Amino acid sequence: MIRFEQVSFTYDGAARPTLDRVDLAVHEGELCVVVGPTGSGKSTLLRAVNGLVPHFTGGRLTGDVTVDGRSTRDFPPRELADVVGMVGQNPAASFVTDSVEDELAYTMENLGLDPTVMRRRVEDTLDLLGLHELRDRPLDTLSGGQQQRVAIGAVLTASPRVLVLDEPTSALDPAAAEEVLASLTRLVHDLGLTVLLAEHRLERVLPFADAVVLVPGRGAPLVVGPAAEVMAESPVAPPLIELGRLAGWDPLPLSVRDARRLAGGLRLRLDGARPPASAPVTGARLASAASVSVHYGEVTALDRVSLAVGTGEIVAVMGRNGSGKSTLLAQLAGVRAPTSGTVRVDGADPAGLAPRDLVARVGLVPQDAGVLLYGESVGAECSAADRDTGLVPGTTATVLERVLPGMDPERHPRDLSEGQRLALALAVVLAPAPPLLLLDEPTRGLDYPGKARLVALLAELAADGHAVVMATHDVELVARVATRAVVLAEGEVVGDGPARDVVCHSPVFAPQVAKVLSPDPWLTVDEVRAALLGEPVRG
Amino acid sequence: MADRGRAVTAVRLRPRASLLLVVTSLVGIVGFCWPLLIQGGAATAQAHSSDAPWIFLAVLPLLLAVVLSELAEGSLDAKSIALLGILAACGAALRVPSPGVAGFEPVFFLLIPAGRVLGRGFGFVLGALTIVVSALITGGVGPWLPFQMFGAAWMGFGAGCLPPAKGRAELGMLAAYAAGAGILYGALLNLWFWPFGAGTATAFSYVPGAGLAHNLHRFFLFDLTTSLGFDIPRALTNALMVLVLGRPVLNALRRASRRASFGAPVEHVPVRLDGPAPAG
Repeated sequence: MIRFEQVSFTYDGAARPTLDRVDLAVHEGELCVVVGPTGSGKSTLLRAVNGLVPHFTGGRLTGDVTVDGRSTRDFPPRELADVVGMVGQNPAASFVTDSVEDELAYTMENLGLDPTVMRRRVEDTLDLLGLHELRDRPLDTLSGGQQQRVAIGAVLTASPRVLVLDEPTSALDPAAAEEVLASLTRLVHDLGLTVLLAEHRLERVLPFADAVVLVPGRGAPLVVGPAAEVMAESPVAPPLIELGRLAGWDPLPLSVRDARRLAGGLRLRLDGARPPASAPVTGARLASAASVSVHYGEVTALDRVSLAVGTGEIVAVMGRNGSGKSTLLAQLAGVRAPTSGTVRVDGADPAGLAPRDLVARVGLVPQDAGVLLYGESVGAECSAADRDTGLVPGTTATVLERVLPGMDPERHPRDLSEGQRLALALAVVLAPAPPLLLLDEPTRGLDYPGKARLVALLAELAADGHAVVMATHDVELVARVATRAVVLAEGEVVGDGPARDVVCHSPVFAPQVAKVLSPDPWLTVDEVRAALLGEPVRG
Repeated sequence: MADRGRAVTAVRLRPRASLLLVVTSLVGIVGFCWPLLIQGGAATAQAHSSDAPWIFLAVLPLLLAVVLSELAEGSLDAKSIALLGILAACGAALRVPSPGVAGFEPVFFLLIPAGRVLGRGFGFVLGALTIVVSALITGGVGPWLPFQMFGAAWMGFGAGCLPPAKGRAELGMLAAYAAGAGILYGALLNLWFWPFGAGTATAFSYVPGAGLAHNLHRFFLFDLTTSLGFDIPRALTNALMVLVLGRPVLNALRRASRRASFGAPVEHVPVRLDGPAPAG
């Protein structure tokens, strides 16, 4: 269905080819997952499928890309629109119209279809993606996951035979991402669409993948094959795969269920070993909320929440969407005063502080880190942050170098990847050295190396005596770095304790390693590895 | 940002389109300036002063349509159409609250940076398009429309022809251009209705066949007394807007054009499957 023959591609003015003699065949009805580190050329590969590379981007393409027998040399992207549907990272960026139905019909209007056909296909698509209840809603009132489903639907109405998705969940929170991936797997199974999908939330899609394409980057050749084989050598892998590699399972398990069936031996080897008991962190009290309630009109966002955070703690605030996580962070950041109760950060009420005093005590990185960034370039952003907070010029740039070394100061903040944007926002927030750092969904859009860097940075900050409070759905992040977990539901605290105790036995919050090895309380692959190395391996 | 100060070409002018543009513009100039150029005695001039405006009125839109379609045929791709659409809509929106009140007409303020960044071909099309779109929105469709279109198209074209400059020099140059072009635009648009707009008996009326120098003098008086009071404040506000807001607008446009990689050459090289693959 999709065939790359000896395809090399070099961007205009680039010294090295981004794709180098790529051979790839994706067959009818396959779900093919593209994995690889950020910047390795995944997007270039995907955009070559419908000819955006090179027709839109410019550059030199050698070799031949054919889709359904049509070569992108002879067919420009517009003449492939009925065969290939393309969905990008940010659904809002692709919307043309204002409402769900209009957006679904827009593609077909461009293809000049008959109104009766359009009408029927809109209905079909609404049903297929479960969007019928949203049909008249304005697009900007939808959640991220709903928007992305509409974007997929808008592509499907042209009834393409190939669907190409470039990290469709990277701008979404985990719940929305699950929703989109669930819709996608349903499409693959029910319609038999050929799907080429770049994704970093691999744990959800690997069980369904017919083939995995590993793009190692730096001109190294692609690795193509069944998921279990390719993942064995992938530098980008979810914890489940890493655990499988550590235990030497063959074939590698792709789902928790498969892994659990293989895990008997590993549990025996670990028998008697305990994860290192982390001493509870007892730093000086830095911030507290005492019986804080927040009402938005009729809605109770927080209901008598009490929480104290000490230096050196990394507190994960968990709970479903709308449970009050972001509101709690907003209270600690002094964004607005609580309806009742008191908030103290470093001995002062954050809502009453002048901005310059506030940023020196507490820093908040919101869910969309980009909203903090309004400069023309990374360098301009850093110097503006120095100026705004009265710091010595160069401070923010130094912090940025520590958070993510080697960022080009000439880049525009909007042209950065999610991970780079987060790093820049973190640097801006961290520059005045606030003792309390608040993060809202910090791993959104981060690939595994990006998460690893974030984990290392947070641990370093906590060791320096900062306190970190993060609202997150990402259980793997919690497993690796949090010292304490707080669970919110309906605006109330329903769980508060050491992270291991809170997440390990919850079916919702348990990380993959815990699910595989329960009832033993292991959280991360690193713990298991340390335990295995620390004792002689038995039979 | 190595491309600061260098214009890209979002709409490429092929030889045929260039020729058409020149010819059309010449006809356009005649359409504006015929009262000054006409020779052959008072009788001929008198005879033509009633029909000439209408001939040009009919011919100019057709010519403009030819140029625009030629440009679209050759070099308007999806990217430039998208950018044209957005900028024309923005320009039209800028024009809605400002039907020339106190000379405030910010539409040129967008047109000039756009022509500067995206090239003269783009500037020409954008100028013509912005005026049409805003006329449709504001209900300002009338015999003056083709003349306004020409004026704005030339203004955008000219902005794309300015010499390379950077930083403050660039802003200063654009501001000066905005002021100068604004005044010229006002004068040109007076010119097209001057023959019948100013009557026949006043000191600044058009005198058919009275010679270039004489009529130019009269026209200058007409311009001075009727519209310079509006044109000069308009020129100044436009220059001021370019100075104050020009930098962010230029940066946004440059970033957009960089992202769209206008003018990056597309090469498609087939490989022989039996031969060795060419290196990169």
